Amino acid sequence: MVNDLSIGRRTALYAVTLLAVVYSFFPIYWMIISSFRDDASLYADASLVPGPFHLVNYEVLLGLTDYPTWFMNSILVATGTVCITLIFSVLIAYSVTRLKFRGKMAIIGTMLYAYMFPPMMLAIPLYSLFVKLGIDDTRLSLMVSHCTLTLPLGVWLLWGFFKQIPIDVEEAAMVDGCSRLKAFVLVVLPLTLPGVVTVAIFSFLLSWTDYTFALVMIGSDQLKTLPAGLDTMVGLYELRWGELMAGSTLIALPLLVMFMFLSRFFIQGLSAGAVKG
Amino acid sequence: MRGERALYLILGVAFALTALLILYPAYHALELSFQRLDSFVSEPEWIGLQNYQTVLATPEFWAAFGRGLVFAGFTILFQVVLGIGFAMLLDAHVPLKPLVRGLAVLPYLLPTVIVALTFQWMLDPTVGVMTQGVRLMGYEYIPWGENSAVAMATVITLSVWIWTPFVTLAFLAGLQSVPGELYEAARVDGANGWQRFWHITLPQLRPVLTVVILLRAIWMFNKFDIIWLTTRGGPLNGTEHLPVLAYRKTFELYQVGEGAAVSAISFLILSAVIFIYFYAFPLDEKEE
Repeated sequence: MVNDLSIGRRTALYAVTLLAVVYSFFPIYWMIISSFRDDASLYADASLVPGPFHLVNYEVLLGLTDYPTWFMNSILVATGTVCITLIFSVLIAYSVTRLKFRGKMAIIGTMLYAYMFPPMMLAIPLYSLFVKLGIDDTRLSLMVSHCTLTLPLGVWLLWGFFKQIPIDVEEAAMVDGCSRLKAFVLVVLPLTLPGVVTVAIFSFLLSWTDYTFALVMIGSDQLKTLPAGLDTMVGLYELRWGELMAGSTLIALPLLVMFMFLSRFFIQGLSAGAVKG
Repeated sequence: MRGERALYLILGVAFALTALLILYPAYHALELSFQRLDSFVSEPEWIGLQNYQTVLATPEFWAAFGRGLVFAGFTILFQVVLGIGFAMLLDAHVPLKPLVRGLAVLPYLLPTVIVALTFQWMLDPTVGVMTQGVRLMGYEYIPWGENSAVAMATVITLSVWIWTPFVTLAFLAGLQSVPGELYEAARVDGANGWQRFWHITLPQLRPVLTVVILLRAIWMFNKFDIIWLTTRGGPLNGTEHLPVLAYRKTFELYQVGEGAAVSAISFLILSAVIFIYFYAFPLDEKEE
């Protein structure tokens, strides 16, 4: 195939590829190099070449703002969301595939329906309920809200994984004297590990990147997560672009690292539609 | 079989959880839309359909509805066209394919907030890199913060940048399932690249395309964060669509009932589209 292409066509293909890469990556590149520039070079003529290299934006961001607190809040909320999502979605998806009863497709249907729900439509009634329960403006309420995004996704993805595993596999183990739980943990779970990892990654991603729920649920500055917190800095300071870009880079960093090392799971999950939006 | 009782118990819990997390809030949203409420802690007063009457009678509702259609229509169009282009490119023999694919997908993973901030920085009216580029090429820069049409074009561009990879990946996966013989046969018959795309690739991928467009429609029509973060619905409400209107009514104007009514109307439109989706792609019971 490659040899079919004439030199001219191959050059055109390379040029289009380069264009596609620049289009996709330039804003990220610009965010990162801007974060390392001091004010003098930021507000001078923009040079496309990286540098000069300064850490002043990071020092201000981590030393003088609430950024470290927001970072911890984000970690807490995302970790909680991942744990809750994994436990419940594994149990639900497994039960649904292993039991035969009428209307079980209704559960799957509801999950798919919920998965399509736009966050803002759930955020307002959820907030109203949290106020009634007296847990509004807490990290717990944000965690629970994030589960409305991640749980449907987890059940939906894992349902696809569990139903591919023939029930004979566990029955064989149970004939050999395993309990159901043991058969599940020792036989079924290892086979579906890629699915479980994918759900964990995307639950983290959805929670880490969410802005809408964070905006509605959290009022106190001390309880904000990174996306909502960073956005408040836009209003507070007279557009300190260096610090804003440093803050943006630090939010993206864990995602970029995860993406580099686990890209197989990312592509697999994304192809299954794991990020709603 | 052993262990079934435990499974039923788990399923019961699952039912309860689904109901609590998703169905009850959906019901509560409808409930709020029938009440007069000026904050979340005040005593609600049942007023029937009055919120809906008020909302539907205001021009700002219909303006927001129209802007939502414009926003969704253009973003879907460009996402689909660009996404197909990217997928065809990634399916060809490009150099460093895994890296190119990774970079092409990356925008989709980024938090909306950093995309909104980075683009605002790149488009800064005095020192933004894009602004300077535009000036260098001899064009006049129109500040997007002062002109509704330019602001709308900006949020559409950002949305296309972020969400195109969804279409790319779906289309790329679909391309792998098109039988190679079809292309061989077409080549023998003397069809050129464009004809092969138009007469084989597109018809073969029609189901994928339908799913993609329906899902994009559902999500783009209700996209809140990118518009709110970039323009707050401004300038002069020029980018305010239904989700922004619902948010402003609820949290800025303290008309919780009316905000809920706006949400409920979007919800009805959305449900209609979702039902078309389920009708076109029924969940196959036999798949089990």
